[in-house]
Amino acid sequence: MTTRRILIIDDEYDIRAVAQLTLKTVGGWEVSIASSGHEGLSKAANEQPDVVLLDVMMPDMDGIETFRALQANPATQSIPVILMTAKVQAAEQRRFAELAVAGIITKPFKAMKLPEQIAKLLDWS
Amino acid sequence: MKILLVEDDSLIGEPLVKALTEQHYAVDVAADGETGWALLESFAYDLILLDVGLPKLDGISLCRRLRSQGKQTPVLLLTAQSASLNKVIGLDAGADDYVAKPFNLQELLARVRALLRRGDTALPPLLEWRNLGLDPSICEVTCDRQLVRLTPKEYGLLELFLRNPHRIFSTGTLIDHIWSFEETPTEDTIRSHIKGLRQKLRAAGALDDPIETVYGLGYRLRPAEEKLREEKARSDKGQKRQDEGKTTIASQTLTGLSMVWNQVKEAVDRRVSVVEQAVVLLRQNKLSEELRQQAEQATHKLAGSLGMFGADQGSRLAQEIEPLFQKGRSLTRQQVQRLSKLVNSLRQELQHLNDLNNNLSSEPSGVAVVDQSVDERPWLLVVSSNSTFTAQLQNESSGWGFRVQIISNPVTAREQITKAHPDVALLDFANAADTDNHLMLLSELRACTPPVPVLVLTDQDRLIDRVKVTRLGGRRLQQPITATQVLEAVNQVLQQARPIQATVLVVDDDVQILTALQRLLIPWGLHVSVLDNPLLFLDSLEANPPDLLVLDIEMPCVSGLELCQVVRNDPCWSGLPILFLTAHTDAETMYQVFAVGADDFVSKPIVGPELVTRIFNRLERTRLLKSFAEMDALTGVANRRKSTEALSQFLQWCEHCQQPFCLALIELDPLKPINQQYGHAAVDQVLARFGELLRRSFHTEDIVGRWGGGEFIIGMAGMTQADGMQRILDLQQSWQRFEFEAESTSFQVGLRAEVVQYPQDGADLQMLYQTARDRLSQAEHGTRSEGSSP
Repeated sequence: MTTRRILIIDDEYDIRAVAQLTLKTVGGWEVSIASSGHEGLSKAANEQPDVVLLDVMMPDMDGIETFRALQANPATQSIPVILMTAKVQAAEQRRFAELAVAGIITKPFKAMKLPEQIAKLLDWS
Repeated sequence: MKILLVEDDSLIGEPLVKALTEQHYAVDVAADGETGWALLESFAYDLILLDVGLPKLDGISLCRRLRSQGKQTPVLLLTAQSASLNKVIGLDAGADDYVAKPFNLQELLARVRALLRRGDTALPPLLEWRNLGLDPSICEVTCDRQLVRLTPKEYGLLELFLRNPHRIFSTGTLIDHIWSFEETPTEDTIRSHIKGLRQKLRAAGALDDPIETVYGLGYRLRPAEEKLREEKARSDKGQKRQDEGKTTIASQTLTGLSMVWNQVKEAVDRRVSVVEQAVVLLRQNKLSEELRQQAEQATHKLAGSLGMFGADQGSRLAQEIEPLFQKGRSLTRQQVQRLSKLVNSLRQELQHLNDLNNNLSSEPSGVAVVDQSVDERPWLLVVSSNSTFTAQLQNESSGWGFRVQIISNPVTAREQITKAHPDVALLDFANAADTDNHLMLLSELRACTPPVPVLVLTDQDRLIDRVKVTRLGGRRLQQPITATQVLEAVNQVLQQARPIQATVLVVDDDVQILTALQRLLIPWGLHVSVLDNPLLFLDSLEANPPDLLVLDIEMPCVSGLELCQVVRNDPCWSGLPILFLTAHTDAETMYQVFAVGADDFVSKPIVGPELVTRIFNRLERTRLLKSFAEMDALTGVANRRKSTEALSQFLQWCEHCQQPFCLALIELDPLKPINQQYGHAAVDQVLARFGELLRRSFHTEDIVGRWGGGEFIIGMAGMTQADGMQRILDLQQSWQRFEFEAESTSFQVGLRAEVVQYPQDGADLQMLYQTARDRLSQAEHGTRSEGSSP
């Protein structure tokens, strides 16, 4: 089995660092990171990760815009995207659910459980 | 404390035994090496005084034999002055310090004390990891006793890992430790050096890969036991191995999380501060739209991240706060109050998280120095299975300013101390089912660098444990004992054990020496700043005032001797202790060194333990002198000069931070009549007891000074007059309970106090004092006239 590769797009250093750490050590995955939507778009196109973990609330280009741009680009539209959000209101949740994302992970996530959560959303065994 | 003296010359031995016995040491004497060895095999000693030239078995060989058997007893060599080679060989053989004959008795006794203080933690002369050996004295690496040829950088890397077995080094930290400023390499270079090192070690037949890659963090020495465990699991096959693997991953992830936390906690702290500030302004109806927005974002981010680090409650609080900062929302008074409460709790959660991570975090690294400022309270580790007792300790400890951590199981505690060292530990042997693990924990705590002071609770019937405990350097506390008594003992130990917080400035044009000294001195808790360009000396001195100066003699442009003269001629710096490093030991150079005002000199090549001892001796002596100059001997509080200086600084700080400040003037009943009636000794007793009470009632954040006969000043920063008054009233109540006895009568001493506040009662120290003084005398007259009226 080849190693899974994941791209994390988040402007927050701590979220990136923790996600990167647990996905590497616990999940054994290859992880690359981007700290803005723009950076994420080009990395996703170049690296063709198996999944993108995308923060919703970012300055300049937020997660929703980034997601739309990923969908609009034929090179990236088939990559599954998981949204990360700290918004818990039902209305927001519903709005995100209407997007064709592979799943939503609410922040704060449990560091040790993150790889399992992602694997479950994507049906990876 | 028990000392073994191995010395064949009775002219030296006899007066030495007499002097040592007078200092209450138990002394055994052996007149030759073999007898000395026989004694060492049969009895435990705290220190060995060892002559180099001895019949039958010489001192150096004896020392080597001792170390090869893993015995860590400190050894002080007595050596003839001329044979400097002897000193080097002796120290490399594992001795800790030496004194040249003929010696000054007082110096010898001071060195004995210094060594005994340090406990049994002589640095092992040989570093080992499984079948690898590294001998720092000859810079040699062996694998199964066969020489392994390494480049200097590879050698440096390996030595660093072997010396810091639990620490994870990022590539950046490796660069800081091993490369000089001029040759800063890229991360790729480091990786290729590590790769080269691994290949050479593998080729030489090193068991396992000693250097472990910690994903995303860096490299470290692979824990040897873990490897063994894994191997065992591997041979067992099956589920067990997987579990072991999971445990390793979990602990690795936890360590990693803790490191990430340390990197981001200041940012998190700022976020909480933003929210706090917003709440303050909101209460005053002054919250700007900009700050509201910042606060909303900050809470949102806090909600998203705190739980990730294990503070679920923190995330929940932030989630509850976030909507209260929503745009256009106006809050009722109750809601604002609720908001304040939530933010307070949030701050507490943050503190809690910091405590947790401080306990978890690995060895202090260059970065972690900053971290320690988060909770500077001394950390007391309690290992006891008696929950009633530990609960009492926990309850009582709040007023003592310690951070108490209770662990019921010594095995868990031992895992803890590999990550961070407590400042003091309390081990409960009295309630232990099996003392072996406690004893092992005790010896490990004593073997830390610097050693952790350990208090041990024992009960009557375990004589054998008591002997072992004392031998391992633990201090015994006898049951039954109250929680307060225990905490008093802990406090006492902390007062004594608090390491000298000192900065050492080293000036040497040889960058390698600078790096070596940093590596040598930092583990002893010294801050080391280095300078390789003597022309920048004065700037460096101003920028980071040191407590001790180490100078090289020969440097380009300006010599160390000239620098020394500059320092001695500057009134600001004239008292700074100066230690010279020199390759010249001829009489002429030594004369020059002392003529320009140096305090001590150490010859190159540097012998680690010698330099450390000399630096500490010098620092201790300076500190002692300084405390004489700053402390009032009778009461143990600051004298007038020192406290005035500190008060002025406090006032400036309060002005800058817009904090309240209050000053209390306390006057004891006139002491003159007491003197006339009962004599000087009675007055001394009163002052000493009052000083003690003051020191107990006020802590480091307050300033206590004795300004005159019975006149005392207390400065309390961040405190209003009302709060200050309350504390003084408490003090007054305690003081009323004190009774003194003299000439078989008992008497009490009253006190009067006045509390004034800055800036209302005065704009500077002098005015504040004057106001307090005036009010005190008014009150006195007031009481008198009241008293005279019917």
